[in-house]
Amino acid sequence: MAATQAPSMQSPASVGTQSHTSAALRIIRYTLTRLIALFLTTVVGVYLTILIANMGGHVDEIRRATIREGLAIAIGMSPEYAQLTPAQRRQLVEELAQIEFKRLGLDQPFIVRSFRYLGNALVLNLGRAEQLTSDSGSSLVRNIILERLVPTLLLTATSFFFLFFVSVFAALGLSRRYGSFLDRLSVALAPLSAAPSWFYGIFLILIFAAVLRWLPFGGMVDAPPPPSRWAYFLSVLKHLVLPVGAVVLSSIFIGIYSWRTFFLIYSSEDYVDMARAKGLPARAIERRYILRPSLPYIITSFALSLITLWGGSIILEQVFNWPGLGRLLYQAIQLYDTPIIVGDTIIYAYLLAITVFVLDFVYALVDPRVKVGDSGGRSA
Amino acid sequence: MARKLPIGYCLALVVVLALAASAGAQTRTGAWVDEVIVIEEATPAAAITRLEVGEFDVYAFTISDPALFARTEASPFLTYSRSFGSYNELTFNPYGPEFNDGRLNPFSVPRIREAMNWLIDRDYIVNEIMGGMAVPKFFPITAAFPDYARYADTARALELKYAYDPERARAVITEEMEKLGAQLVNGVWHYKGSPVEITALIRIEDERRIIGDYVSNQLEDLGFVVNRLYRTAAEASPLWLTADPAEGRMHFYTGGWVTTAVDRDQGSNFDFFYTPRGEATPLWMAYTPASEFDAVADRLGRNDFTSLEERGGLFRRALELALEDSVRLWLVDRQSFTPRRSDVVVTADLAAGVAGAQLWAPTIRKVNQVGGTVRVGLPSVLTEPWNPLGGTNWVYDAMLYRATGEDGIAFDPYTGLTYPWRIERAEVYVKEGLPVSKTLDWVDLHFVPEIQVPADAWIDWDPVAQRFITVGEKYPEGLTANRKSVVYYPADFFDKVKWHDGSPISVGDFVIGLILEFDRANPDSPVYDESAVPSHQSFLLSFRGARITSTDPLVIEYYSDTFGLDAEWSVTTLYPYYSYGPGAWHNLTLGLLAEANQETAFTSAKATQLGVDYLNMIAGETVGILAKYLDQASASNYIPYAPTLGQYISADEARQRWSNLSRWYQEKGHFWLGTGVLYLERAYPVEKTAHLKRFELHPDPANRWDIFAEPMIAEADVEGPARVTIGGRARFDVWVTFEGEPYPGNLISEVKYLVIDSRGEVALVGTADFVADGLYEVNLTPEQTSQLAAGSNRLEVVVVPIPVSVPTFESATFVTTP
Repeated sequence: MAATQAPSMQSPASVGTQSHTSAALRIIRYTLTRLIALFLTTVVGVYLTILIANMGGHVDEIRRATIREGLAIAIGMSPEYAQLTPAQRRQLVEELAQIEFKRLGLDQPFIVRSFRYLGNALVLNLGRAEQLTSDSGSSLVRNIILERLVPTLLLTATSFFFLFFVSVFAALGLSRRYGSFLDRLSVALAPLSAAPSWFYGIFLILIFAAVLRWLPFGGMVDAPPPPSRWAYFLSVLKHLVLPVGAVVLSSIFIGIYSWRTFFLIYSSEDYVDMARAKGLPARAIERRYILRPSLPYIITSFALSLITLWGGSIILEQVFNWPGLGRLLYQAIQLYDTPIIVGDTIIYAYLLAITVFVLDFVYALVDPRVKVGDSGGRSA
Repeated sequence: MARKLPIGYCLALVVVLALAASAGAQTRTGAWVDEVIVIEEATPAAAITRLEVGEFDVYAFTISDPALFARTEASPFLTYSRSFGSYNELTFNPYGPEFNDGRLNPFSVPRIREAMNWLIDRDYIVNEIMGGMAVPKFFPITAAFPDYARYADTARALELKYAYDPERARAVITEEMEKLGAQLVNGVWHYKGSPVEITALIRIEDERRIIGDYVSNQLEDLGFVVNRLYRTAAEASPLWLTADPAEGRMHFYTGGWVTTAVDRDQGSNFDFFYTPRGEATPLWMAYTPASEFDAVADRLGRNDFTSLEERGGLFRRALELALEDSVRLWLVDRQSFTPRRSDVVVTADLAAGVAGAQLWAPTIRKVNQVGGTVRVGLPSVLTEPWNPLGGTNWVYDAMLYRATGEDGIAFDPYTGLTYPWRIERAEVYVKEGLPVSKTLDWVDLHFVPEIQVPADAWIDWDPVAQRFITVGEKYPEGLTANRKSVVYYPADFFDKVKWHDGSPISVGDFVIGLILEFDRANPDSPVYDESAVPSHQSFLLSFRGARITSTDPLVIEYYSDTFGLDAEWSVTTLYPYYSYGPGAWHNLTLGLLAEANQETAFTSAKATQLGVDYLNMIAGETVGILAKYLDQASASNYIPYAPTLGQYISADEARQRWSNLSRWYQEKGHFWLGTGVLYLERAYPVEKTAHLKRFELHPDPANRWDIFAEPMIAEADVEGPARVTIGGRARFDVWVTFEGEPYPGNLISEVKYLVIDSRGEVALVGTADFVADGLYEVNLTPEQTSQLAAGSNRLEVVVVPIPVSVPTFESATFVTTP
């Protein structure tokens, strides 16, 4: 969080070069401290992810056993190897297993590999996946993630922007009409958000795909995909309607309700009443006295929600056969594909750290009461 | 505005159209359909809905969910194919009687394991847990496969002997536990002062969770304390398979197995499942079968018998001994179904469904329609990279690339027998005394005293000189083999069969396969891949040579020490269909060049070792790498392994191949080639869609494999007297039909019968007499009925058809009176 202080009592004329230098030093010192703190947090977070994803190294035992199991069964049941003696079969299984162990790095202790995972992740050297490949066949984690990023962003960003702006502006409108029918309706509908998006997804599929046949069941585009770009774009839009609709249905009512409540709290502040008493127009009150002071919160909410888009939505993507990051991460966890799990996590961690870091400066820009790097003030 | 047409005109039009369609059906080659569009749908329930509304034509996934089966059966728009390839069992830890830490392991005692057969109600598992989508299982063989039908009388007798009888189980287990020194204290078994705790390792992904609980409950009722460990496959693996059984990390495990093809010889299953020879893991090493069982299993596993009668004796004994050993307790043969629209016909393998059927692509069609589009749903589409030497082996990827290829011989999806596909005929020579027989006319079987491998046959490979080493060079003293196969390709083979890019198939496509078998496993080769070495070493154990005795028509001799009980299974064609799909010499060469230059690799192991991408010939960055080498190869008119392949590939052929492949790549954007009835038009890996189209140059008539469109599973009905006098004659009629019509007599192998008497024992066994197509008679003589005691009896009939391996069972009851 940014530190703040009470408004300065110095006159503008007394602010000279020295104070500029002091402010610059303060900002640099704060920036460095903040960066180091965020970096350490990221390191700890990513290493914990590595430890958890590998069950502290127990996954190695599972993977070795699974590899041996697969080989032993394949060789034991194959007529091709029927002539081998038990000792020869054991040797063959062991030889093949050792090759696979080497390929997956299981010939090295987990603790060594864990620090290598961490080091590579921190410098964004995401390396190659151990099991999964990108849809087009690349084993580079970068390619695997990038390939899934576009569909994920398409789905989550479309839903998010729609949800965010509709919620905020609808809530603002309702806060002006407190107690109206629409306001009461929005309150009544808020519990509908208790159901997750995939739940609505199933119903939407049943209604619009199975019964009415208006929209597709799932997937990102028609099969086979249209050859022209324009037709492809329209096809993607058509496929977006139901999943985006599901996300919107599952979140919009609670979103409107939350923001409405938030704006109502700000609307009942004394200075808003004072502005009304002074006879200021409603639009001006809304813009200057309600929206402006609530801007840091809105921006924080927006920014932090924005980076959660990175994760995608595992179940929703499954319901709609949407080839996104959520399903990828789920597959990676199932297969213990550590490089992908770490790659996904480190990018999220960096995005989170950068967002938190940038927000500190944004607060200072949008709220004159906030100063970057000053530790003795009050909270915003 | 529409005009009314005279009725006569309409009728004429209908006749003309019908004739045209009929003519089209007769002249159509390759696939019936024009295109197949493959779409991903991960959820079976959603897939059924998509089938019902007509968005899919087939959902090529074997489903076991009873609710979905009921839905499919109830839908007027849907039908299904059944498959029988998976089964469940309990795997016991036989170590003991005490583990290293002193805990007691009751399952170290064979009689206690045997008694578990009486404790577990398989009918309950079938009906209540599996919802009817299974049949009870007592043996390590599948009830839908040929061996069960062969020995059905023995099997039924044993099934009756080991039928559910919890009191008998309790008595035997109590007796044996007391022998072990355990005591029942307040209803709980104690050993050395502590309760006897059973560790149940229960898989959680499917019905095995409920089965595990059911078995645990039965054991708790007997006085055991059960510690239930619920684990996924990966989590369970270190506990049941690779852990030292002496540590006692589990007492029993809810196992599951899958067979991916109709197995005509399940004799080796005893050796695999019950002896230390089965698997190279600590659990298997703990198996100590009785010496007789060990010997019988070993002989069955090695086909160490000289006649099928001798095999029958061993097999029947093995069935009996397996139940006495019961280191595995077999529970159910699962039944699955593959749903499709009612107007769609497609071959489904009895073991592996549509996705695992070799001939799904040539048979798929819409009823009474030539051409058109079929939309196939799959749980996963384009899962991993495609390349013939080391690419994806996911069943759903394999289903698609199987459609693009074909083989020298085709597998009958209902019996496991093989038929000529690209070859014309074959001869098989085996050493006298080996138990090999043949069923079909396309193969000639000869028994010979000795098979000498000719000196000019290839036996090894020199990767530096790039030439084969002959038997004469490597074994100057001579070499013999157990089996020799000679395959004859048709005279017009090279004119008719073409790769998808239009290139005629050539001898080079055959020879490169054998070269790669050696070259990739040799450290001196630029495409050496250490992951290819172990399997190559195993190949060498039985390989005794190969020789091309004629290049046109193509005739190939192959020498080996392995053989199958069916001569049809002992034919080696060397057709260019690899472990992971079809491959021509020219598209494989691009991958070899790229691998030699360390830019990509055929196997994931080598790709990881080199730090490069795993070769994907249908999409992605490696396609670009192949395109680079295509330019180079075209420019130099490259012939790989020129010292050898140069003898089979002319410069003109090479030029034509590179030109065709360049055009293919320009049009399709990938390098996947086959000779199958469908070609890959385009792969859309991100969109999870694949587009396959009919290969118009395919030479086969479209109806060639229509005989496999539907399995001829027989239906049976038994009629006869309700009362039989002891010492009198009795006649029962057995009606055998298929879709309401009499089952042709020449397609029935035999109709067996068993009479189970009032004591529940098999009193009579015999064969029904053929009367007419679809009608057989069971005639019980006075001598036979004299053997029956007064009371209620059951006549069980087993119909064994030839076109399918699934026997049909039917029964009737009758009362015997003095």
